[in-house]
Amino acid sequence: MAAQTIQAKLLTGAPAWISSLLAMSRKELTIMVRYPVEFVASFGQIFLIVIVLTLAGLMFSPNGVQSGGSRQTSGIVVYGFIVFMFLSDTLWTIGYNVRREQKQGTLEQLYLSPASKSASLVSRVTVTLVWTGLLSVASAALMSVMLGRLPFHNLPLGAFVLVMALSGTFGVGFAFAALTLRIKEAGQTMANLIQFAFMMLCAPFFPFSALPEWIQNISRLIPMSYAVDSFRSTLMGYPEGFPELASIEVEVVIVAAFGLLMPVLGLWLYRREENRARRTGSLSEY
Amino acid sequence: MTTIADPSLRQKLSAALAETRLRLLNISRYPGQLAMEIIIPIIFAAMPMLLGRATAGADAAANFEANTGTTNYVAFLLIGASTFTIVTSAFWHIAYWLRFEQETGTLEAVYLTPTGSTTLASGVALYSAVRGVTSSLLAYLIGCVVFQVNPFDGQVLLAFLFVLFGLVPLYGVALLFGAVVLRVKESNALIGLMQWVVAFLMGIFYPIAVLPPLVQTIAKAFPPTWMLNGVRSALLGVGYFFETWYLDMAVLWAFMLFAPLFGFWAFHRVENGIRRNQGMGEF
Repeated sequence: MAAQTIQAKLLTGAPAWISSLLAMSRKELTIMVRYPVEFVASFGQIFLIVIVLTLAGLMFSPNGVQSGGSRQTSGIVVYGFIVFMFLSDTLWTIGYNVRREQKQGTLEQLYLSPASKSASLVSRVTVTLVWTGLLSVASAALMSVMLGRLPFHNLPLGAFVLVMALSGTFGVGFAFAALTLRIKEAGQTMANLIQFAFMMLCAPFFPFSALPEWIQNISRLIPMSYAVDSFRSTLMGYPEGFPELASIEVEVVIVAAFGLLMPVLGLWLYRREENRARRTGSLSEY
Repeated sequence: MTTIADPSLRQKLSAALAETRLRLLNISRYPGQLAMEIIIPIIFAAMPMLLGRATAGADAAANFEANTGTTNYVAFLLIGASTFTIVTSAFWHIAYWLRFEQETGTLEAVYLTPTGSTTLASGVALYSAVRGVTSSLLAYLIGCVVFQVNPFDGQVLLAFLFVLFGLVPLYGVALLFGAVVLRVKESNALIGLMQWVVAFLMGIFYPIAVLPPLVQTIAKAFPPTWMLNGVRSALLGVGYFFETWYLDMAVLWAFMLFAPLFGFWAFHRVENGIRRNQGMGEF
């Protein structure tokens, strides 16, 4: 009986959760390093995206590529791009991995193990986030070389906003994973659609003022818009007209609430969908 | 001993068209995916457009003209994004065709049929061209309507000819890339990288004159660069590389003769090497 209690303790609580997360993240890392071309390609891809978008933006400057662009424009594009990279990773990777397990036929087996389901979901994206962090630093450095020094202020608050935004998108990622269990292959198309909606409505590559007023009103209903706006405004040192959607205090409160509440909601949705899939026997169906 | 005669031209054509039909039928089951292919170029072109409008304000068109040769930045960016769709479709469809057959374990079985890989690749290329051109044409037209510019300004027929003649060398290059995927196997990563290399070289959102001279030379060795500049020059009058349309078209014709031959040669070389060694089925 005592042995059983000790065993049960080993399988529950924070240490068990962390242990599961580390083991699963390690597995993801092992898979990643087996594909070195993918590593190099993703790095090259980010650099090329940054260069293409920068050159496109410079076509609207009076002296084109010679002008080097304004610091404010660089700040808008680079910081928006960083938030976009982190958010896209968190948003799709979880659902995509659940789908991959389903296709490989290992999802049902995974659910028979006593490992934490939330650790399983978070582990899908942990390694990717570290990699994205490195890519963000590198792309910011590249942009600085191309366009001149980026505006860089209020790092602690900027980091807080980014962490809260990430936490919130983890929640959206859980909810998206739940949706993937339900709609299966259509999840990929849905992911693309959400990604492009995010690119337009949350304005990561341009100021919100570029959008028509009615679209700005829709943007104001999406917490991630406030994450993009507050993150770049904070790091740019609140130049005139920034933040655009609300005062910085209001934006930080919205992003913090999003970061604290969304993971709980997302996990609840995922558990609900998972239970439904287990009851109907569709967990391994694809 | 039973011998199988080589298929006639008619039989080859029939097999290629069957491959095209199979793929079109397959994709018709995913209307959402098709809709996304039309929406993506519009959103993609909208990014620099909105950024430019926000940062340059009332001077956006004038600044753009000083850098590119046209005030019509909406059409310039939409043409770039739409042509990019055609190019990425070619790369994705050819490379993913091979990879998909490999992953599902059917590539080796396909190679046991009397139909040659050239025939099947031609069928896939036809399917890809139909899908890519239709999506990009619709994206351009819808984008023009959304951003309120006339899509039929300039020499529309000439622009269409540049697209048409650009397709053949494009699929030659895509086949070359297919050979790389067959060898390296990591198609997703390679395609992801390649499509941005292509975007950078062909100048989807800027004229290639802004690139360093060495990069410009590399870009001009790449057929889609001529296709895109031809379309832009025909519709917007931004200027042909050789001043007149027929000289630029002649370059595309030269690519048209050379690129497919080189593509098939490289593909067969890799293919034969793999068949002699580990076999096509391994991935």
